Amino acid sequence: MLELKHELKLRKTRDEKARMNFVSGLRAHVLMDMANGMRAVWDADVAPEFRKRHRRDPKDGPEVHKAMKPNEYFKFYSSMRVTAQDMVWQSVLGPLERQRADLKAKAQDLDRRVGLGSLNLKPGFEVPRSVTAVDVHLMSGNYDGEYEPDDLAAGAVYDNGLAVFSFGLMGQNLDDLGQSIAGFIRLKYPDFKPKKILDLGCTIGHNTGSWKDTYPEAEVHGVDVAAPCLRYAHARAQAQGRAIHFHQMNAEQVEFPDASFDVVFSSMFLHEVPRKGIEKVFKEAHRLLRPGGLMLHMELPPNSQLSAYEAFYLDWDSFYNNEPFYKPFRDMVPQEVCARAGFDPKKYVQYVVPSRGGYGEKIWSESVNQQDTVDSDKTGRLAEGVRWYCFGAWK
Amino acid sequence: MTDEKSSGAARKPLRRTIRGGRPVFFADPATDKVLNMVITLASEVWALRERVMAMEALQVRTGSLGATDVDDYDFTPEQEVRLGGERKEFIDNLFRVLQEQVEAAAAKSPSAREHVKRQPGVFGARVSAVSKKPKKKSPAKKPSAKKKSRR
Repeated sequence: MLELKHELKLRKTRDEKARMNFVSGLRAHVLMDMANGMRAVWDADVAPEFRKRHRRDPKDGPEVHKAMKPNEYFKFYSSMRVTAQDMVWQSVLGPLERQRADLKAKAQDLDRRVGLGSLNLKPGFEVPRSVTAVDVHLMSGNYDGEYEPDDLAAGAVYDNGLAVFSFGLMGQNLDDLGQSIAGFIRLKYPDFKPKKILDLGCTIGHNTGSWKDTYPEAEVHGVDVAAPCLRYAHARAQAQGRAIHFHQMNAEQVEFPDASFDVVFSSMFLHEVPRKGIEKVFKEAHRLLRPGGLMLHMELPPNSQLSAYEAFYLDWDSFYNNEPFYKPFRDMVPQEVCARAGFDPKKYVQYVVPSRGGYGEKIWSESVNQQDTVDSDKTGRLAEGVRWYCFGAWK
Repeated sequence: MTDEKSSGAARKPLRRTIRGGRPVFFADPATDKVLNMVITLASEVWALRERVMAMEALQVRTGSLGATDVDDYDFTPEQEVRLGGERKEFIDNLFRVLQEQVEAAAAKSPSAREHVKRQPGVFGARVSAVSKKPKKKSPAKKPSAKKKSRR
């Protein structure tokens, strides 16, 4: 299990550490070994059966899903993945329960001692039902769970949980995708010097910080609907010496003036938003950007650019991980959403960026000139060899 | 110890599946498999209990163990790597019964075989602490060779 590198990290007993290590290892087993095994079972058993019955290959993810559903290996893969997902958050809740007061005191202390950036919460802010209806990705307490005034426990669940969840693949500071993508933009567009950067749906700000690292002169803002995550994000940014401004706002209706940002970014965010909301987010991004600014979303790759099997594989979360908007988002065609929001189709961009921490600086920086195709079992999938997918448009 | 390791590395691993299949008793064969896993797990938990008890007894006898020493202890990076390897082996062993279906698939189809034998390894040591033993250098070449041809 990855150990968080900042002072908000929870202290764990030997047994708690061991449980976290076990869950990390279990997830690696399911998402790598069993994922390969399931693909083998598809190739050898289920796909030939499908071809025999239909006299053709499956045309999309849902057809593969339907064919795989009765298969025993699929059931074990799914049941074990759900169990592991649940165990990730459960492994954090024990040590967190003991340290809630301590965590709050640490956050207050950071405010006094460091005093970097700002936290702007709105009393009475209504968190949208798309977030509150279910515990997103089976995370007990969800992003917005509040149990006492000034609570930041939900942020701690997410941060400490991601460290267990990612088995090292999201980087030592859980910001590999932020570091990979922000750094990629700086390398690819050396003349682009953003002064103001906005991260939408930033949760605990783990990828917001990468933009500050990449463009230290820029003013960096993060918005999210969940107060406990924002409180934690503010404390976490200060613990890491970063000046970032966090605001409780809905990305569908951001309260900043027109043409006030040079970069509007999001990561792993759109797939948690209903389709109508996504359209609004893109229109907001267009409104918020200055001419020459960049909208960029790090996401799972769209189904339109994947084979039927890969589409099925990534759709899994939509059905079994309490992420109901995941597949509807991935069924959207990114170029079309950008165009509908007012972006010039000629200014559409998409990139596949090799994980900077995983592949190392050389392969990562070479990707600026040599792009891989989107359809691969490495794109957007949390397994060894992960490559981050992002898309957007220049205004 | 050294002898076991060097001779083990040169040999083909012993087969751990059951030719002819295993008898099934429950309406859904998956139930038999889950029972297999639960019992395997129970045996591992018990082995651990005995080991911990033996270690604590030894420490108490020498007077070198304080009340919070175990909870406060952090493994060294070397120990983490060793534990990572053992944890992978533990998990593989626990779910070995599922591997039989994958091996049967691999025996049937060449493309299935490719998916099964594909070694991750691209990220090398970074993931090794949580999921892999730091040996087996050579098979790791495969994915990177594949990457180059795609570029």
